Amino acid sequence: MWKRRRALDGLDDDIRDHLEREIEEHVARGRTREEARRQALLAFGDPALVREDARAVWDWRWVTEVGQDLRYAVRSYARTPALAAVVIGTLALGIGANTAIFSVLDAVVLRPLPVREPDRLVELLSRYPGEPRMASFGWSAYEHYRDNNRVLSDLIAVGAGPIEVRPAGGAPEAVEGSYVTGNYFSALGLAPALGRLLDAQDDSDPAVAVLSWAYWQRRFGGDTGVPGRSIVVNDAPVTIVGVAPREFTGLLTGVSIEVWMPAQLLAQLGEGQRVGGPLLMGRLAPGVSRDRAQADLRVLDRWRVEELARSSGNSAWLEATLELESGRAGFSPVRDAFGSGLEALMLLVGVLLAIACINVAGLLLTRGMARRQEVAVRVALGAGRLRLLRQMLAESVLLAASGGVLGVLLAYVGAELLVDMLVSSRPLMRLPGPLEIPVEPDGRVLLFAVTIAVATGVLSGLAPACTAATTAPAVSLRGMGQIGERRSWRVLRNGLVVGQMALSVALLSATGLLVGHLARLQTSDLGFARDGRLLVRLDPSETGYSRQELGERYDTLLARLEGLPAIRSVTLSAVTPIQGGGAARFINVEGVEERPADRRYMSLNWVAPRYFETLGTPLVAGRDFQREDAHAQAPPVAIVNQALARRYFADRTPLGQRFTFDESDRVYEIVGVVGDAKYVDLRQPAPPTIYLNALQEGRGTFAEFSLHTRAAPMAALPAVRDAVRQVLGEDARVDTATTMADQIDATLVPERLTAWLSTAFGALGAGLAALGLYGQLAYAVARRAREIGLRTALGATRAGVTAMVLKSAGLLVGVGLVLGVPAAIVSTRLAAGILDGQPPNWAWPIAAAAVLMMTVALLATALPARGATRIDPATTLRAE
Amino acid sequence: MSTGRAATRDRLELLQGTLDLLILRTLRVGPAHGHAIAKAIERGSEDVLQVEQGSLYPALHRLIKRGWITFDEGTSENNRRAKYYRLTAKGRKQLAVETSRWDQLAKAIARILRPAAQD
Repeated sequence: MWKRRRALDGLDDDIRDHLEREIEEHVARGRTREEARRQALLAFGDPALVREDARAVWDWRWVTEVGQDLRYAVRSYARTPALAAVVIGTLALGIGANTAIFSVLDAVVLRPLPVREPDRLVELLSRYPGEPRMASFGWSAYEHYRDNNRVLSDLIAVGAGPIEVRPAGGAPEAVEGSYVTGNYFSALGLAPALGRLLDAQDDSDPAVAVLSWAYWQRRFGGDTGVPGRSIVVNDAPVTIVGVAPREFTGLLTGVSIEVWMPAQLLAQLGEGQRVGGPLLMGRLAPGVSRDRAQADLRVLDRWRVEELARSSGNSAWLEATLELESGRAGFSPVRDAFGSGLEALMLLVGVLLAIACINVAGLLLTRGMARRQEVAVRVALGAGRLRLLRQMLAESVLLAASGGVLGVLLAYVGAELLVDMLVSSRPLMRLPGPLEIPVEPDGRVLLFAVTIAVATGVLSGLAPACTAATTAPAVSLRGMGQIGERRSWRVLRNGLVVGQMALSVALLSATGLLVGHLARLQTSDLGFARDGRLLVRLDPSETGYSRQELGERYDTLLARLEGLPAIRSVTLSAVTPIQGGGAARFINVEGVEERPADRRYMSLNWVAPRYFETLGTPLVAGRDFQREDAHAQAPPVAIVNQALARRYFADRTPLGQRFTFDESDRVYEIVGVVGDAKYVDLRQPAPPTIYLNALQEGRGTFAEFSLHTRAAPMAALPAVRDAVRQVLGEDARVDTATTMADQIDATLVPERLTAWLSTAFGALGAGLAALGLYGQLAYAVARRAREIGLRTALGATRAGVTAMVLKSAGLLVGVGLVLGVPAAIVSTRLAAGILDGQPPNWAWPIAAAAVLMMTVALLATALPARGATRIDPATTLRAE
Repeated sequence: MSTGRAATRDRLELLQGTLDLLILRTLRVGPAHGHAIAKAIERGSEDVLQVEQGSLYPALHRLIKRGWITFDEGTSENNRRAKYYRLTAKGRKQLAVETSRWDQLAKAIARILRPAAQD
């Protein structure tokens, strides 16, 4: 720009001319030239600075003045630290909570496997009516599907089994391993990082292994000469053929596989070492949808169920159906346990973010209103409007950015804590090895939350300043004194408070639902006692006793334990309640005809005498098992629970009724009826259950001991250990010892996690809403100080003034609650939908949330109301 | 001035508009060089507005940039090169606007400042 060049060109001359003239003036007044020069410079200021400022006029001011804006912003917030802290903290919580929860949700539920086209992968599941889904198939079923289906381009099987690697000259080391079919890597579209991966050839010549990148680095230091080397796996030599790509850690979410070996090797392992059937994962053929594939595979599946029905002689198997699920995120017990809880939490933190944003908007709007006067004065004094807006922008951005940075930190810490809690539930997952959930705070959500939060901060910080800056100062200054707040602003700020109230009710209702869900599970009628029970599992494998001897020793041990002063009663059983496993069979009751389609599994447990007494399950009819039942001539006896009695005998007495199990003609007579007790899963109602006498059935070698203790269960443990050592010898080990309460709680980790976090989020939301209400009322009282003072002067009582404040608060809260109810219905519906099997009982959580919010609102009102009664008319009126 | 540079700048910020107005007002009488403008303002407001003479120059440049004043290169009586600043037509109009705004402002400020005790 020529103007700029010309103007700046003569600047030095101008300044010199100016100073010379000033000096000459001083000299003319009789000063020395030295003194004159000093005076001239004093009046002028630093010429270098002047030059810089004049130059800055022509420069991009943004560059030079942004720093200045920020400095000013920091100073302005230093004057109101509480406000700044609340805004920053609120934003940080909103951003941090959302990012943390989503990051974990992503890692556990959403993140696709690092393989080719993960969306085309499907997991095969089998469901028997009334039972949870099973992912376990036989190997023959795998081959059947693989060879005959026309909807999957590939079908792979993943088997589990122990893998113990012994490096040359080293000690054996248990590693995480998968036994996979030869098409595993090619179906997933993976390329080796080194050497080659498994292929179809390896199915017939299986003494090979593929290492994971991490294991290769850890055990072999990333040596590129590894392919071709031999290692000893499960006591047999196998050749390492290659290394899998770095990012691939297997198909089981939460478990990092270290070694892959051909499934063929699994068949060579001893019977006892095989763990269940394989998991099946298929890739949909091009152009085939999941529904179509499921329909086709179900037809194919008839062969399997007919085979099952034929071989078991049980036509009920025909009811089993095949289901396909998306396999994009791999097989995941973690997802099954935590997925729904995390989704519910995501819903809650979403609402929390909304409340946080509304709260920040309210606070900043209020602050903005209070500052309109300052803005108007500055505009009047000639400050550039853009400059002012930029100043306001700098302040808002500074706050929002601080909140954002803190939010990121919170997200990191939060995600880590969450993962720790998830990992603590490992026993629940019954995974072979450690659970690893790699979580990175998710960039997309972070960006989303930060954008929302910053936009809120900036818009609400800027809006009032904008209107003030664009209104002619005379207009805004004239009205500024006291009453002149524009109606629209007041409505907006009241609307924000109402919105927060409504959302808080919604948030608290959903929280109530989740907490109620946990409470119901915890206090649900278990059918057995929760407290005062010690559960001890023995490991007799090192003692060298035969089954016969072990049964006799256990009998002795039961008698010995019964004699301990700390023990009320003791028993043993095949499984203890909620242990996570169990048995089930079909029965045939004499005199009862059942259509094959109506047949269901009856849960089964083998228990010693005094089991019901020890566990606290009531005997409602008949008798308990006795030692005498074990005599050779004694007839086989059984005890059933009331659910089974209802199912088969309706109003007849079950006592004396007889039944057989499928595949056996041993006839059992029912001698007792006990109360219903939960069996495998707390979340399911107590199933129809049959108890057999462990001693009579020759099952006295189950090593699950349950003890009813007189004092704290764990305090009895040393005495129990002593007794075990005395009866079974030094080689007998106590495998695990826990209390019934702990065993129950361990299965509730997902629900507890959800309930705890939702409580925390609910409390935060309610607190923020209270803060919003408080801020709004305090501002209103301050604005109306003069009016209130006048009323007091004219004789209004303190009660009257309080009532006035309460009335305005009551209106806000009332409207908020009324609007909150439909929002709460939506949120509780969503939460209930996420928790499957949850009856939509949303009435009491909503009522409780509303009452809670009213209480909180009353507390938030108390302070401003008190402030209003303290207004001294003399002071406020004098200020007029 | 004793509170350091930041404070000085704030003061300039607040005075910026005022100083602009005073410059425009001074130049209405006729073209003048920088020193003469400073002296005229000083004479008019000595004790009320303590303007650093140097701050005049950034203000002059701002007004040039906005097109409210312009300048001619000239040689002063003692043979130094210097600029003679004068109002443009746009500047003349601006002066009228600013002056009426100033009057409104003065009244408004008076209204605020009187009950200022409440803050």
